[in-house]
Amino acid sequence: MAWQRIASLSEIAVDAVLGVDVDGSRVALYRLANEVFATAGICTHAMALLSDGFVEDGNIECPLHQSQFDIRSGKALCAPATEDLRTYAVKLDGDEILIDMEQQAEFTQAIPKPMPDRQAARPVTDTQTISATNSDPELALMKRYVWPTEGLTRIPDWVYTDQTIYEREVEKIFHGRTWNYVALECEVPNPGDFIRSNVGPTPVVVVRAADCSINVFENRCSHRAAEFCRELSGNTKEFVCPYHQWSYDLHGNLAGIPFRRGVNGKGGMPADFNAAQHGLRRLNVTSHRGVVFASYVQDMEPLQDYLGPEVLKEFEATFDGRKPRLLGYYRHTLPGNWKLYHENLKDPYHATLLHTFLVTFGLLVAGNRSLMLADATGRHGVMASAKSERKSISSDAKKEMRAYRDGMTLAEPRFMDFIEEFDSPWSVTMATIWPNLIIQREMNTLGVRQIVPTGPHEFIMKWTMFGFEGDDDEMTRHRLRQGNLMGPAGFLGLEDNEAIKFVQDGMRHVPGRQHLVKLDPAVAAGTSDSLISEASIRAMYRHWRAEMGL
Amino acid sequence: MGKAALTRDHLPDAAALDSRLQALLLHHEIESFNARYAQALDEQRLADWTDMFTEDALYVVLSRENFDRGLPVGLIYCESKRMIHDRAFALMETSMFAPRYLRHIIGNQIVLSAESNGTVKSRANYVVLQVLLDRPDATLHQVGVYYDVFRRVGGTLKLAERRCVYDNLLVPNALCIPV
Ligand code: FES
Ligand SMILES: [Fe+2]
Repeated sequence: MAWQRIASLSEIAVDAVLGVDVDGSRVALYRLANEVFATAGICTHAMALLSDGFVEDGNIECPLHQSQFDIRSGKALCAPATEDLRTYAVKLDGDEILIDMEQQAEFTQAIPKPMPDRQAARPVTDTQTISATNSDPELALMKRYVWPTEGLTRIPDWVYTDQTIYEREVEKIFHGRTWNYVALECEVPNPGDFIRSNVGPTPVVVVRAADCSINVFENRCSHRAAEFCRELSGNTKEFVCPYHQWSYDLHGNLAGIPFRRGVNGKGGMPADFNAAQHGLRRLNVTSHRGVVFASYVQDMEPLQDYLGPEVLKEFEATFDGRKPRLLGYYRHTLPGNWKLYHENLKDPYHATLLHTFLVTFGLLVAGNRSLMLADATGRHGVMASAKSERKSISSDAKKEMRAYRDGMTLAEPRFMDFIEEFDSPWSVTMATIWPNLIIQREMNTLGVRQIVPTGPHEFIMKWTMFGFEGDDDEMTRHRLRQGNLMGPAGFLGLEDNEAIKFVQDGMRHVPGRQHLVKLDPAVAAGTSDSLISEASIRAMYRHWRAEMGL
Repeated sequence: MGKAALTRDHLPDAAALDSRLQALLLHHEIESFNARYAQALDEQRLADWTDMFTEDALYVVLSRENFDRGLPVGLIYCESKRMIHDRAFALMETSMFAPRYLRHIIGNQIVLSAESNGTVKSRANYVVLQVLLDRPDATLHQVGVYYDVFRRVGGTLKLAERRCVYDNLLVPNALCIPV
């Protein structure tokens, strides 16, 4: 009943595929010799666009995982897809291609319908035949989460603003196959010491047990879900939930239930209740050079393999074997999507443009020796630069940066001194460890930043600042003075927080568009030695899309 | 004459009166210092704010969490007026942040001790309200306590130490203007 024009024949070459949007649904239109066919535009396996795929011998091959479908019937021909594609009826009117979204292709309707009322003839239980424009939630999903056809040089807003995407990230990334930073060992030096922490948004407790092992479990009572541990840190022999006094040992085992056998022979737990099965949910834990990570996946690869050799090298340049000493915390909220923080630190382009403090005082310029490293998977990165002498700044670089002012000096320049203490060619490194950790080595001010997402539009950032055992008083004070650069009131830190907020504001107020990340086309995605590059951001999204199946 | 004598009977002796007046004057002096301090920050006159410190002043903004645990890290950590000056200069000349209106409200001043050399220890509660230009509400940006040491420089009261200890551990996004 609803034939509508969607394209003209001249728009598609023979043996080609064209993606079109019809009533908000993605449709793939194919031309085989002079026949035209249409199927759902998104692979039934992961959410890839078939219009980016390849037409061969009457089949369409998905660009993402090479599933194949018969173009005429929509049949899934080879793995990983197992579900057939929905097909749509199309016809030609001269050069115009018309589609009826409510009819399947002729091929599947070889038997002429006896009834003129197709609505009645349609088997309503078959989701394949329900209109693509309304009730099918799968199709509604496909409609919204379509990656731009340009590929990784565009990032659609829904990546940062959508609740369903956020929930999927918690499941697939933070609770998935990742190592999440949870603590520094120096925060829990003695048996019984604990801190509250998070894995993704999920609150956990990190505690050192009597055997000196570090345990991480959910901060959620196995009785009625109470978030039982309320102190930021402390020392305890056991955890007792305040609601009904269920108690847990420092490994998370359920140790005591008041009135388990009832009172006066009445009430109480069932006789077959097995306390061993009702401990707190425990996470897999690993630790390297005093940095503690946890994972919901029990058979995670070792942290060293997870980081990869290059990122591990930078990790070990900062955590060089000296024992970290806790100096304090910054905590702040940030009204932006959590991934924007990773992107900020995979975006060396902004360093001299946003942070005019560095440029005004000649502390960093676009010509400095630098590297934007991405690991092989694209998920981790290290932004690195070497401090240059003020006199070596080229006049070209000065012209580029509006903020540069010759002769501008600080009244207290020593706070920017770099005291050599690391075996590294870099004076500044910012390591982004997927999914929730940033390791800051900004000359001598050191910190780990933990991302705690709280929804698509906001996250909490917890900074744990540290020095090393053996630092004398003056070195500690130097680190504290240099700390003025970072954190939510830092000369650089406050600007990053503001810029990230502006990005989220832009997407909320002008929604449904795309970001442009085209810088440095010579590197499709990955490590670049240019500051003027977004190749690491592209590498991160290559990984993210694979993890998310998008 | 008789009336005056009667009144005098009910007055404290001159020395006690003197010390109470002095305490009152000192209290008033700190109160008006804090009012001027708040006004300089509200109006974002950071050079004037800088001038309210002694040369060797310590100015630190740190969380209640760090303060209570003896952890020294501060959001802002200035060990001298020179660093305070650099902070003011950087914020005014180089920092990028959205325009905002601020109200610093200081109250509950208490003088803890006043020494004969002019050093005064005191504390006060403070609240910072912030208005962003695209939101109708003023948000409570920071709430905390000033732990202060004042000294006289050329007769004028100046801050030799101000530790701003804030209770709202989660800073809302960014602290752009000092407290
Ligand atoms: S909820 Fe924890 S003991 Fe009942
Ligand atoms: Fe930055």
